[in-house]
Amino acid sequence: MASSQPNPAAEALGVAVAARVPVLLWGAPGTGKTSAIRAMAAAMGLPCETVIASIREPSDFAGLPIVVGGEVRFAPPTWARRLAEAGHGLLFLDELSTAPPAVQAALLRVVLERAVGDLTLPDEVAVVAAANPPEQAADGWDLSAPLANRLCHLNWHTDPRAVADGLAGGWAAPVVPALPDGWQAEELLSRGLVAAFLHVRPALACAPPTDAAAAGQGWPSPRTWEMAARLMAAAGAAGSGDEARSALIRGAVGEGAGVEFLAWLVEMDLPDPEQVLADPASFRLPERGDRAYAALAAIAAAVAGNPTQERWTAGWRVLGRSADAAPDVAAVAARVLARCRPDGAALPAEINLFAPVLRDAGLLQAQGGMGGRVAPP
Amino acid sequence: MSGGTSGGRPPGLAQLAAARLWAATRFPYLASGVFGAAVIPSPGSGTVSVDESWRMRADPELTADWTAAQLGSVLIHHVCHLLRSHGERAQAVTTGPEEARAWIRAADAEINDDLVPAGLDLPGQPILPEHLGASDGLLAEQYFDHVRVREASGRRSGSWLDCGSGADGVPRPGDGPGGLPGWQADLLKRQVAQDVMSYARQAGTVPAGLLRWAEQTLHPKVDWRRLLAAELRRAVAQVAGAVDFSYQRPSRRSAVAGDVVLPALRRPVPEVAVVCDTSGSMNDELLAMVLAEVEGLLRALGLARQVRVLACDTAVAPAQRVTSAKQVQLIGGGGTNMGAGIAAAVALRPRPAVTVVLTDGYTPWPVEAPKGTRVVVGLLGAQAPDAPKWARAVRVDPELPGDGVR
Repeated sequence: MASSQPNPAAEALGVAVAARVPVLLWGAPGTGKTSAIRAMAAAMGLPCETVIASIREPSDFAGLPIVVGGEVRFAPPTWARRLAEAGHGLLFLDELSTAPPAVQAALLRVVLERAVGDLTLPDEVAVVAAANPPEQAADGWDLSAPLANRLCHLNWHTDPRAVADGLAGGWAAPVVPALPDGWQAEELLSRGLVAAFLHVRPALACAPPTDAAAAGQGWPSPRTWEMAARLMAAAGAAGSGDEARSALIRGAVGEGAGVEFLAWLVEMDLPDPEQVLADPASFRLPERGDRAYAALAAIAAAVAGNPTQERWTAGWRVLGRSADAAPDVAAVAARVLARCRPDGAALPAEINLFAPVLRDAGLLQAQGGMGGRVAPP
Repeated sequence: MSGGTSGGRPPGLAQLAAARLWAATRFPYLASGVFGAAVIPSPGSGTVSVDESWRMRADPELTADWTAAQLGSVLIHHVCHLLRSHGERAQAVTTGPEEARAWIRAADAEINDDLVPAGLDLPGQPILPEHLGASDGLLAEQYFDHVRVREASGRRSGSWLDCGSGADGVPRPGDGPGGLPGWQADLLKRQVAQDVMSYARQAGTVPAGLLRWAEQTLHPKVDWRRLLAAELRRAVAQVAGAVDFSYQRPSRRSAVAGDVVLPALRRPVPEVAVVCDTSGSMNDELLAMVLAEVEGLLRALGLARQVRVLACDTAVAPAQRVTSAKQVQLIGGGGTNMGAGIAAAVALRPRPAVTVVLTDGYTPWPVEAPKGTRVVVGLLGAQAPDAPKWARAVRVDPELPGDGVR
């Protein structure tokens, strides 16, 4: 099993299985979802029970009612018994979107609580599902919103190069990473992050989908946020790539909420403008150009919002520290500062650092810019 | 190299900092994008190009005589290639390097048609829609048709820089791994889209094409075909999924259960009625298109034989049981009352479990939901008034291109 190009979806699948979060792969028929999952189980030496939901009845998941000594028990089918006896393994629910609505309803407890009739599967059993998008499967149903909310949705893309490699040299099995002991401790940290985000965006704490097309995908709810926090911690502990982590978070809480959360996380990395203004020497310019721009623009806007002499001078000090590494980014912020000079503030020495680049950009004459306003009369 | 990491100016691109400053000042709503792209000097390439990982390669020899404004404009132009996903879109319409060259001209025209009037100062002879014999404000896909028609008849459509794989999706030497990962590029695009929207709200003028792009990025419009399909599937699923337990036939599990007699599961196959608005205000061509779509969807659900179609203006024509949208005769043409149509649908026997109403919305509606049937309304036309709250409505906007990015 030669592993070729790292495939973020396969990496994400491995992390979700390791974290025991129910996961659903979406992809067109014939793109190797089933074989990837089987190969993963085989590579890990896990027993894998495949159940095709579309040809099952509700009682296959809710348990068969049988009479034992005058009372009705719900007997689990043999696949569940085998998994329970093995104590670990993979429950693979194939063709989930072709299951009729009544069967989907019966699956709710299986997916989340691993309960099949009167039998509860061991915690070590991971639930993995695969489905075709309804518009690609002729007899497909949309997933019901409650079932969709119990799963982390991953899109299974086929990379033409991976297909070529796979045909020539065998398919690479997704790897389930071994999570180090005590990785759950990190979950507290990621829960804290999620909680902080939901304080800022309370509307996203629970937002059931409004149109039918979105109902079958992930959507934000307390349960999926918890799932996202767990997946984030597991991805961190497994050392997986940013792409996989992003796919897991978006898969749990849905595209819209997931992207907002990721954007907020990136924002969190920016220095706090007020802290920087209190202590300009602590400022470190972010490496990436657009992050540097965001940081300096926030600092300039903070000064412009409350331009006292002290803050104004501190702002210039920050820009002075950035002028060498990113003269253009700092000059944009310098133009904002120049416009809000408080009365009686002395001209900072840093101002001269920006004159050459402003002149080169043709902004000194055209705008009257800093020359006109702040140069001494 | 980006402003942050360069630790000074890359050799040979002396005016880079000034160029970016010019770009960020002139187009403040694109500043995040301009600073987010890494610029790498690439002697001997003879062009300024961009790849899909937000890396730009500039030949210092070529850019040596450009002013800061000119280099800044090229940076803006390339950022727009990335924002509008030209590389990805190219792969849907082009079939090789030869066509890719024509696609770049089309993509250039999509960017330049509103940014050049807004003050972009590109060196040389940038491609404008007029060079392709097209009018302003089209999609790159539409410009591409113009370019192909011109080239088929042997006319040139101008030439400009080779904008690189970020514009046509064909990998160039040196593209390799690295640069901005896909998900971060997506976040950066969203950031720019938010900047564009808030600038348009507060300060004023943003080129219309760019504003449309930002709206589409932040609030993507879903193709009505997908929505209609999902609503229909859901209506049918909820009816068909109301699984009834019946003792008419023994369950196949009875042998296992011993003493207990188990019910078998029965699934009623729902009847579907389609009520078509045929009043004078309707666009017949659009109605025929949507009707064909509905028929296709129902066929996919295995329900094609159950469909009955009612034509309705203020009166209702008798129900026609049809197997193909072509057989439908749309009789009518006066005023509108969909309430009459829905009442007629409910009166049909067997009663339809799902009623699809196709109308332009200029009609009175019943105050309450009809009993015993689920109503899915297809509202035809972008301006159609809202459907009542009790119905599931899908807006059918023929102007909306299937997967339009613009």
